[in-house]
Amino acid sequence: MTDAPPHSRTDSLAWVAGSDAPEKSVINLGFMALTDSASLIVAATQGFAQPYGLTLNLQRQASWATLRDKLISGELDAAQGLYGLLYAVHLGIGGTPPVDMAVLMGLAQNGQSINLSQPLQARGVTSSEALRAHVHQSGAKLTFAQTFPTGTHAMWLNYWLASQGIHPLEDVNSVVVPPSQMVAHLQAGRIDGFCAGEPWGAQAIGEQQGFTLATSQSIWPNHPEKVLGCTRAFVEEYPNTARALVMAVLEASRFIDESEENKRSSAQLICGSDYVDAPLNSLLPRFLGQYEDGNGHAWLDQQPLRFFGNGEVNMPYLSDGLWFMTQFRRWGLLRSDPDYLAVAQQVQQLELYRQAASQLGIAIPATAMRSSTLIDGKLWDGSDPAGYARSFALHALSDARQTLVSR
Amino acid sequence: MGIAAKMLRILLINDTPKKVGRLRAALIEAGFEVIDESGLIIDLPARVEAVRPDVILIDSDSPGRDVMEQVCLVTRDQPRPIVMFTDEQNPDVMRQAIQSGVSAYIVEGIQAQRLKPILDVAMVRFESDQALRAQLSARDQQMAERKRVELAKGMLMQMKNCNEEEAYTLMRRQAMSRQQKLIQVAEQIIAMNDLLGQ
Repeated sequence: MTDAPPHSRTDSLAWVAGSDAPEKSVINLGFMALTDSASLIVAATQGFAQPYGLTLNLQRQASWATLRDKLISGELDAAQGLYGLLYAVHLGIGGTPPVDMAVLMGLAQNGQSINLSQPLQARGVTSSEALRAHVHQSGAKLTFAQTFPTGTHAMWLNYWLASQGIHPLEDVNSVVVPPSQMVAHLQAGRIDGFCAGEPWGAQAIGEQQGFTLATSQSIWPNHPEKVLGCTRAFVEEYPNTARALVMAVLEASRFIDESEENKRSSAQLICGSDYVDAPLNSLLPRFLGQYEDGNGHAWLDQQPLRFFGNGEVNMPYLSDGLWFMTQFRRWGLLRSDPDYLAVAQQVQQLELYRQAASQLGIAIPATAMRSSTLIDGKLWDGSDPAGYARSFALHALSDARQTLVSR
Repeated sequence: MGIAAKMLRILLINDTPKKVGRLRAALIEAGFEVIDESGLIIDLPARVEAVRPDVILIDSDSPGRDVMEQVCLVTRDQPRPIVMFTDEQNPDVMRQAIQSGVSAYIVEGIQAQRLKPILDVAMVRFESDQALRAQLSARDQQMAERKRVELAKGMLMQMKNCNEEEAYTLMRRQAMSRQQKLIQVAEQIIAMNDLLGQ
């Protein structure tokens, strides 16, 4: 292939010059202005892709919807993705016709948060019990914002509220607000709380507009968060490129998590105006796991945002993909049970990931399912998705209810 | 068909620095009813319900596009479900629309040919600031960069008496804490090495 470098490193990289050379050497890589895009930014700017014969063109997007459209139209080759967004496109939920999608690898776990407004704090609504009492006693419905109707934040918010006895689609209003506008909406009294990625929770606290009531890792320790996604057509047409991309991002992920010094400098890089464009002092502490909830509590989190975790973060577990489908079903976004396992097997690119990880000597978990206990005490191990989706006391299963949500 | 008989009503969402004044004028001139809204975020679903537009146009670079996604979900069981416009007969239309920076949502069932004049006007009027990416030279540049990084790494290994991996880590930390690319730090090391002799 003409794309191969003139001389390549020996041993593990010998394939770059051979028949495994990337079919496409320039990758347009989409990302959103969020802390958990760090591994893509580090991979693209710190020379992690060049050894594989790849150049990563970072392209910041203003919305998930535009990121999705550009992935589908081919203007972006791959992008930071929300699990729910990729599965929604694949299943044809939302405003677009279905397109086969692919999850190449996990990019990050943990690190999102649910935050409430300062007026609620002033009224003493500073615990989940107080929130439940307030929701069930007060006349006016509270309004909670998330970032995308099928996105991870909507699912964390729904799951957390339900675990506290609050029906997310009946007891409160749920609206979409772009993450960078959350604090302004909180300040204007247009929303009473929100669930989003960092640095927006920390920023709400920094500007004394709210406090953190729950972290996403308290809902599900080491939960899947952002992924690296593309269309299935891209993986099929450019398999070597996709594998090389996964290897470059895996190496960058390993580098970030390797030491506190590397984390600090990664945070310094990504807060720049070309990337997340947020002040370092709102981004850095939670990047390092140092939490302050704006309500007098500070702690070093045991399950902070992480990018590698010896490969545990990056493995595209089938059970992670399945979980989002169970929640789509639970909340009425899916009207009938899909063939859960078959869909997850199509979307999660396990084989490609295994090839990439093994080339780099990164541990590959023995099974494609993992077992977790969530905040409500329920066990999720991927074994019975249809049963799990029906097992919740609070739900909006479409065959149990006539209509979906409306404000 | 009721929809076919009457004039299409367009909701033009105006929430980015792009100027939509000329677009509104051009659409009105072309015979459409245009309602122009700015500053909508969480009110967007309610406004769509109140205005009952047939077509919604929004800048592709607007963060408000994610709010439109909620409109699509909320209206999917209603008599006028709103969907993103994607012309399945002609996929190039969507690509062109994306490249020109306009996204269109429609009431499901409106035929593509009725939308064409709207999109044609919108695509011309929405000024696209897409920079042309010099992809042709990217591969050559990538080769050159890789060589420069290797050169700098070798210099640093000598200067610091360290191994390859340590040299890479030092260069990357330096680059990241200055919000620079690795290649920029490599060039600085090479320049410094030249300055200090050898």
